[in-house]
Amino acid sequence: MSEREFHPLVKQLLDGDITLGELPAELRAEGEEALQLLGMVDRSAVAVPAVTWRVMARLENRRRRALPWLLAPALALAAALAVWLLTAKPIASPSLVTVRFVLVAPEAHNVSLAGTFNQWDAQATPLVRSGSSGVWTATLTLPAGQHQYAFVVDGQTWVPDPGAPSVDDGFGRRNSVLTL
Amino acid sequence: MRPESQATDGDIVRSVLAGDRERYAQLVERYRDRYARYAARMLGSADAAEDAVQDAFVRAYDQLSQCKDPDKFVGWFFLILRNRCFAERRRSRSEASLDAANGIASADRTDGGAETAERRRALQHALLALTPDQREVFVLKHVEGLSYGEIAERLSTSIPSLKMRMHRAYDRLREELRDHT
Repeated sequence: MSEREFHPLVKQLLDGDITLGELPAELRAEGEEALQLLGMVDRSAVAVPAVTWRVMARLENRRRRALPWLLAPALALAAALAVWLLTAKPIASPSLVTVRFVLVAPEAHNVSLAGTFNQWDAQATPLVRSGSSGVWTATLTLPAGQHQYAFVVDGQTWVPDPGAPSVDDGFGRRNSVLTL
Repeated sequence: MRPESQATDGDIVRSVLAGDRERYAQLVERYRDRYARYAARMLGSADAAEDAVQDAFVRAYDQLSQCKDPDKFVGWFFLILRNRCFAERRRSRSEASLDAANGIASADRTDGGAETAERRRALQHALLALTPDQREVFVLKHVEGLSYGEIAERLSTSIPSLKMRMHRAYDRLREELRDHT
């Protein structure tokens, strides 16, 4: 056994099969060194809140790109569909962008969106609950530029978007920031 | 009927497959942070971990109909993420850098001070010197807290084989960390 290798009993200690006290006296120092190694392990959480929004946005954008092909045989609908797609694809024009807002709130009874784009009117832009799930969505076409917003849950609780950066609104709350 | 927040993974998977696509967000929400930690320790970078988790969820959605047991979605998802992490490591092996290890440790500066951050950074750096197989078993046991039995079940391998990998990992880490312990 090389001097750089831990003694097999010390490896059992690292595996949690035996305790430091069960090691022979001559292996205690090596056992303590080994336990220091485990003390360096970083078990802190890694939070990635934006992943939910990004995954759902990728799925939605892909679905929209697929729509014209799925519906191509429906010639009667083609003209109307083309008009709809022009306004619904991610970048509708150089100055307008279609954005989908998503909030997971299973316990909520209603959710709306308030922001600079609707004069912070908490009733103006309701989100729609998807089926029986707790996922609420709204799709808006907004001018390019920076917008601030928050979700309003059950008409009273203002919630910043967990998947977006936020800024202090100057009144003790956080506004989410969307840059288009 | 079960309240929405208590829906099992199987309930949600079946519902997504039946056409309620938006419900997939619940699965993402439920597991994204838990598996981001695994990915971060495997890849040595929180940013790379975020991309890996995101890609894995999109791939899992694409292949959802192949999830044979919807109630075991998370074990199935883990294997997709694991493949993504291993592929990423193969791609960027030559780029494994101190910067990547620093990327994780710097995010933790507030919860233990500079010395803790330095020790964590040293270990994260040493972990990058292990083979992916060795690093994985170390991360699953000592970061995620799984037993050898649980890891063996998750990776469809034997406990003696896992222990062999782990014991080699211990020796390699000892060598890498000589100046830090």
